Amino acid sequence: MRVRAILRTTPSLLAVAFLLTAAQARAQEVGALLNQIDFGVRGTDFHAGSDRARFERYKDLRSGGFLDRLRFGRQTDQWLFDLQADHVGYRDQRYAVGYNRFGKVKASFEWDQIPLFYGQNTSTLYADQGGGRLRIVNQAVPTGIQNGTLLMQNVKPLLGSPFELRQRRDTAAFSLVASIGRAVDVKVKLSSTHKQGEMPWGANLTFGGANEIAAPLDHRTNELGAGLEWANNRGMVRVGYDGSWFVNAIPTLVYDSPLRIADSATAGSSQGRTAMWPDSMANTVSAAAAYNLPRRSRVTGSVSIGNWSQDATLLPFTSFYISAFALDRSTTQADARITSFNVNLTSRPTDPTWFSVRARRYNYDNRTPPFNVTQYVRLDQQAASLPAGVNGSEPFGFVRNYFDVDASVTPVPFTSLKLGYGLEQVDRTFRLFESTTEHTFRSAIDTSRSQYVTARLAYEHSNRTGQGLDEEVLDDIGEQVSLRQFDISNRSRDRITFTTQVTPVSMVAVMLSAQAGRDTRPAGNFGLRKLDTNGYSIGFDVTPVETVGVGLTYTFEDAATEQKSRQANPGAQFNDPTRDWFTDVSEKAHYVVANVDLLKTFPKTDVRLAFDWNESYANYVYRLGPNSTLAAVTPLPKVYNQLRRVSADVKYSLTAHLVAGIVYWYDTYRVNDFAMSPGYVIGNQTLADGIMLGYVLQPYTVHAGWGRLTYLW
Amino acid sequence: MNRMRRHTSGIPLRLLIACTCVWALVAGLRGGWPAVAQTNDYVGTEKCVTCHDTEGKSLGRTLHGRAENPRSPAANQGCETCHGPGRAHVDSDGEADTTNGFTAMAPRDVSAICLTCHNRSNHTQWQGSPHDSRNLSCVTCHSVHSPKSSSAQLKTVTEIDTCASCHKPQAMKVKRAQHMPLVEGKMSCSSCHNPHGSTNVKQLKVGNYVNEACVSCHAEKRGPFLWEHAAGRESCVTCHDPHGSSNDRLLVAKLPMLCQRCHIGTRHPSTIYDATRVVPGAGTPSSRIYGRGCVNCHSNIHGSNHPSGHAFVR
Repeated sequence: MRVRAILRTTPSLLAVAFLLTAAQARAQEVGALLNQIDFGVRGTDFHAGSDRARFERYKDLRSGGFLDRLRFGRQTDQWLFDLQADHVGYRDQRYAVGYNRFGKVKASFEWDQIPLFYGQNTSTLYADQGGGRLRIVNQAVPTGIQNGTLLMQNVKPLLGSPFELRQRRDTAAFSLVASIGRAVDVKVKLSSTHKQGEMPWGANLTFGGANEIAAPLDHRTNELGAGLEWANNRGMVRVGYDGSWFVNAIPTLVYDSPLRIADSATAGSSQGRTAMWPDSMANTVSAAAAYNLPRRSRVTGSVSIGNWSQDATLLPFTSFYISAFALDRSTTQADARITSFNVNLTSRPTDPTWFSVRARRYNYDNRTPPFNVTQYVRLDQQAASLPAGVNGSEPFGFVRNYFDVDASVTPVPFTSLKLGYGLEQVDRTFRLFESTTEHTFRSAIDTSRSQYVTARLAYEHSNRTGQGLDEEVLDDIGEQVSLRQFDISNRSRDRITFTTQVTPVSMVAVMLSAQAGRDTRPAGNFGLRKLDTNGYSIGFDVTPVETVGVGLTYTFEDAATEQKSRQANPGAQFNDPTRDWFTDVSEKAHYVVANVDLLKTFPKTDVRLAFDWNESYANYVYRLGPNSTLAAVTPLPKVYNQLRRVSADVKYSLTAHLVAGIVYWYDTYRVNDFAMSPGYVIGNQTLADGIMLGYVLQPYTVHAGWGRLTYLW
Repeated sequence: MNRMRRHTSGIPLRLLIACTCVWALVAGLRGGWPAVAQTNDYVGTEKCVTCHDTEGKSLGRTLHGRAENPRSPAANQGCETCHGPGRAHVDSDGEADTTNGFTAMAPRDVSAICLTCHNRSNHTQWQGSPHDSRNLSCVTCHSVHSPKSSSAQLKTVTEIDTCASCHKPQAMKVKRAQHMPLVEGKMSCSSCHNPHGSTNVKQLKVGNYVNEACVSCHAEKRGPFLWEHAAGRESCVTCHDPHGSSNDRLLVAKLPMLCQRCHIGTRHPSTIYDATRVVPGAGTPSSRIYGRGCVNCHSNIHGSNHPSGHAFVR
């Protein structure tokens, strides 16, 4: 199939190239582009038990013939044409064509496929009947479980044959810019993105159990952008429209229950039904302008007005039985009006002084009417009531106002000192704080004074506080009222970053960067309370002679968080501090990147050797509070990830036009993840309370080799 | 009480203000480009390349050298469009400070020259952008005469190498086990960011707020939904690290610990899920920690359209 696709596509590409070469011969050539076609054979060898899906992930590296790269371009004084093709015939193929009639028209088209390979050995009870309907093929499973002759943990042999769980995103994009005279551009962009395939999805039917299915995907997003832009040396004006339409061919997912073959008034439904992403659209009109003022000043402004909306037909509360409670309305009527504006004034009144003032506003005005409901059907099984204080949906919205002022002086050439202040004030609906205000003070020193040293140092301190605290919001939904949700909680933040590059002689460059940060929140509250981040990177590049390059970089990152919780049932436990516990998360990551390039060090030969390694450890440690009445905890295993690639790329010029090459990769992945590794319960795939797809994180060891010929002209 | 308060947007008034501003600006812009000064200070490109042959040839291979485009340097004063009139330079036998030598100029002076032409489209917001405020200039990243990249005339072969020269932590994170397809070449830093400045936060290329950038590709999560997850509507990066992570789905922490940062109610959200819940034979497995963790059940966590979907399980 793949070979056929390559064979089918290659002559077309070459024919186009030939015709354009002929056309180009009639035009006056002013400069040759580097045209090339790269083809050959690839092979991969996996060690036993290796995870091919994890290795390929966003690539398609199956063994076989390939046409990996075609570049063809022609240009004259008047125009430039460019044709590109990558990975022809494979799932990650890409084609692009561009035409530029200098000063008049610029047009491009691109077709790009991005695969996402989840798992090569996933298996499921279900068969996709189309239209979002998943049926259990082997009815012996729900029958046996319902009548008690089959236990969930024994279902594994009855799962279907292993299949590859994957999805793919295909994007076609067209862009046109027509220049009318020197000042005016008309721009049009069209794109269509289709995502299809399957993804892991939680389709539970019981409280506490997991039922992971391969949810079918088939949706498309079409986008149109159009703009008119007028600019000269005094300023610029632009008006534009952007539209996006999302269409989902599978708006509803219906799946059989593995627990029972027929509905039971006491035990529950024989199937579940989930609302998937609804069709939706977004429309925005915008205008922007800039004007150059005296004394090297400039003002820019933009305003945009739009809406996001969807009006999907609401499903009934359940597929199980006709519920006694009616829907508040028949469609979602979801609508958010979004307005934003941005005004910026910059000025450099004298050579050493500069300042910038910026005001921004973003209003996400959610006009979706609250969906009034007090009762619902839980997991398609039984009627239930929402918490006492909750009467329906809460169409969350916000208005964000920003004000920033920055000023810098350059006391000596190429060295600037910057001070800045930022204010972010956010009004929200349906959240714990009615509004939050964050003040940020920032400073920086940047120097690129000499060709030998560049250094940049920045420090930032910010403080966020909330106003209009409404703890009822938490009480209504049964949360601890001293919980402070970390995305809006009171917070003090400090950040410092430093980066420098030293070039003592032209053949040596040494790089060093470091950063540290700390977020703290009031100590008594539940939720995330502390976040510390640190890291540094050191490396060098050496070019002792023109044909040799050597580089090595080591980077380290460290992040630590502390969060507080309370394990409690309703009643006395809820207010019992002896049931408090903490999670301390510590994550460390190391990276090493090295390369040796020998370019024509040996006659006609380019050699590139590279080593890329990264390793991370995350430790999730539970800590009990003072005088704890909770049971002792058993520590979780550390989470560990290590990726390593050793590669060699050798090219030998057979003639001025023909290059032979070999590429070799040695790739390894090592992983230990208590939630996703097969060594833990997920590897059993079927448990007393759950059935999983078998989408797991598995290690791999792969040797991959390419033998290639590159023809250049 | 903040529940029922509605933010009025005052659209008609703002539209009127915007239209007035645009009208005023258009009036101010009338007049177009000034005529190029034809003085004896200019010597012409032919003169320049007698000494600067390499630079002249390299320029000819780029869009700057296309005289057919009336906006290009080649269609105007050639080398002197950017480097300024060369008469004094020639008369002084090539003295360096008699013309615009970009390596010796203050960064904002360099950018000012580039911005005389690159003043539209995605360069509009350069002045006042984070990079401008840190005294970077166009030639910090770009090279007019000796670019190494196949597009955008960057000083490094790949875009990520350019960005990594300062943004090392982010550039390293894309190498982690969970990442977007940057190392595979399907995305680049500029897929999401506009390094020349933008109206969005963090120099995000699309929209005016974080989520607008994210849903420009992940449109299915755009909504609005019948039931909203406030943390997600507040910002996608509350839960995800788009640069890369060691956790599945680019999450900033593993589940259920991430969810437990905000959900501390009774029973299962605030329960400790330790090794007894995942190590075979150690105890009773819990679907709140193995596999997709909380999302095993709360699968519509980005928002639900189901009438029974208030907890995102449908």
